[in-house]
Amino acid sequence: MRLAKRSMLLLVLGCVSLWAGAQTIAIGGIHPLTGGLAADGIQMDNAIQMAIDEINEAGGVLGGTPLSFLSADSTGSAEVGQTEAERLINEGANAIICCFQSSVTTNVATIAEREEVPLVIDVAVMDAILDQGFTYTFRLQPNATAMGVNGANYLKELAEASGEAVDSVVVLFEGTSGFGDSVREAFVAEASELGIVVLDEIGYEPFAVTDLTTEMTKINALRPDVLVVTGYYNDGLLAARNAEDVLLDVKAVFGVAQGTYDQAQFVADAGDLAECFLDSNYHHDASNADALAVLARYESVYGEPMRTSAVFSYQAVYVIADAIERAGSADPPAIRDALAETNFDDFLLPHPGPIVFDETGENVNARPVLMQVQNGSIVQVWPPELAEADPLFPCVSWNR
Amino acid sequence: MKRSILKPTHRNWLILALIILVAIVILALRWEQTVFWLSRYGIVLRQATVTGLLIGGVYGLVAMGLTLIFGVLGIINFAHGSLMTVGMYLTFVLFTRYGVDPYLSVLITVPVLFGIGLVVQRFIIHPARNAPEHNQLLLTLGLALFIQNFLLVLFTATPRSIRLAYGRGETPIGPFMIDFPLRIWGTTITLPKLAAFVFALALAGGLYLLLQRTDLGKAIRAVAQDRDGAALVGIDTQRINMITFGLGTACVGAAAALVLPFFFVDPLAGDTFNITAFVTVVLGGMGSIPGAMLGGLIIGLTQELGVVLAPSSIKLLGVFIVFILVLLFRPQGLLGVKS
Repeated sequence: MRLAKRSMLLLVLGCVSLWAGAQTIAIGGIHPLTGGLAADGIQMDNAIQMAIDEINEAGGVLGGTPLSFLSADSTGSAEVGQTEAERLINEGANAIICCFQSSVTTNVATIAEREEVPLVIDVAVMDAILDQGFTYTFRLQPNATAMGVNGANYLKELAEASGEAVDSVVVLFEGTSGFGDSVREAFVAEASELGIVVLDEIGYEPFAVTDLTTEMTKINALRPDVLVVTGYYNDGLLAARNAEDVLLDVKAVFGVAQGTYDQAQFVADAGDLAECFLDSNYHHDASNADALAVLARYESVYGEPMRTSAVFSYQAVYVIADAIERAGSADPPAIRDALAETNFDDFLLPHPGPIVFDETGENVNARPVLMQVQNGSIVQVWPPELAEADPLFPCVSWNR
Repeated sequence: MKRSILKPTHRNWLILALIILVAIVILALRWEQTVFWLSRYGIVLRQATVTGLLIGGVYGLVAMGLTLIFGVLGIINFAHGSLMTVGMYLTFVLFTRYGVDPYLSVLITVPVLFGIGLVVQRFIIHPARNAPEHNQLLLTLGLALFIQNFLLVLFTATPRSIRLAYGRGETPIGPFMIDFPLRIWGTTITLPKLAAFVFALALAGGLYLLLQRTDLGKAIRAVAQDRDGAALVGIDTQRINMITFGLGTACVGAAAALVLPFFFVDPLAGDTFNITAFVTVVLGGMGSIPGAMLGGLIIGLTQELGVVLAPSSIKLLGVFIVFILVLLFRPQGLLGVKS
């Protein structure tokens, strides 16, 4: 009898401790895991899992509570992303990281605001997402304005430093989602301010385009000093190949938030053609050994070079974990308040200061860095304080 | 068939006349710009024509498979693009693992995709033959989703591409040494696109001859015209269904190998070509083989010329304008037969 009582007590205690042990803080992640953008989406999903595993191995947050990961597939569709956000919140997500696409992010941010669950945007560029006065949404990456303005300035500075005139450009951009269009708009506005003439702006559909030879011939006829490109990976690769086909007569091909010319895969796919391509884009800090260690760890686990998009997802987990620690609670509104006070000294991103969000939720120190393919690797070439090598300008691989 | 609503009416012709009038007025008002524009962009116009025809040949080949299947089985095959992706991955693996030249691998992708077509028809389409048409449609859609996600698991979403060792600089074509890419009158023609176009036209011609000149072709056409009549004269219609589906799928098997050298493959790559194929089939006339090829060339030309004509262009805009015009004035398609 006594034994039974004691074992009963043990059982209850066991259950309680099990229940307590099962308590986790859930982080939701919504990314395109299928569809045309799955290559990035899957990496971003992996990176969140990797960061959560690291934090849990180091003892979790709030003195021992592990983080758990609720993963969702937006399929690239804003409606699906929105439904998935509602599902994750119903399943108890304490914070959400998303979305890679501006269109999806816009919808998810609305849900986050309504349900009062903090949302950290790893990647999504459109300014308008944070123009609506949302208080629960924060963005790590440079927005379209930062991309366009910095891109135009880097181009101008690069031209001045090399003593080569850049008086005119043509902008080739993906024109079917808010991404390419918003970056184009910001770039064109700033370029005009700086006295660079934009001769033409040529749009294309990134998921239906099969060839850009005609566009390249048109650009050749316009005779710009530099071709500016903004878009995703596959279309960027097509543009590079077709530029070579028509021997595009420009001083450089200059990506602005372009998803191809700063990827290791571009060098693998395009070989010698990849040389000299420039891209002003978000990036990890390639001059930091700790950042490189994170990238190496990712590659050893998942067998692919880590994309910059995934670096931002990884970083987002640490930013949320930091907010939870400072909030001393996993209560979503408390996490939000702590996020608003974030002053996170990261080592991953090449920004001139710590991660600090302004009242709209933008990371005030976020800025792109200019990269170039040189001798088969992607190196940072501008601004000078982040440069690993001197920029080659003017330079295109088919005229070398 | 109740097609009377779509028949060309006086109102439609009026709309066309209005469109042409507006175009003329715009050009006349900006006459100086037009002349300047032509002098400067003539080369772009020529390049657009060349590229449009070259890529249009591939569109035509893909659309031929789709229209053949529709003509005989009466179903729209939504898995057509995904089956093309299968062919593209097959070409990719053959090239990277075994060093098989993509143009040589046509000899492998075509029979393999033909076989896949037979199996799909026999075990997936055939069991649902008595189901309502929209169910058969959903079936092919389901198959497409299955193939896409299966390929995603197998190959991941990372896009893959191949680089031919030849095709730049002096290249032996038969007894001739030809310098690629060709530069003719300011236009650029690369070897992969020229090869794709030539092979696509040759295969299309072969398929046409097969349908016109052989007993099998006659049987296929007989089933397309009158299934019951064909069965009455002793044609095994289910066998014809299978072979037709196989032939249709073999078309994308060939197209897959032909586009890979200048394109890339990811689990959705084939669908890029299939988007235009649906439009092409309707444009050329549902079930018409020459119509599909003609439609492909027109779509190719339209999308490329759109780049030249529109100030900041989105390629498919022009394609859909042509599509709507054809539906208005010739609803049976360019080479389609009025039913």
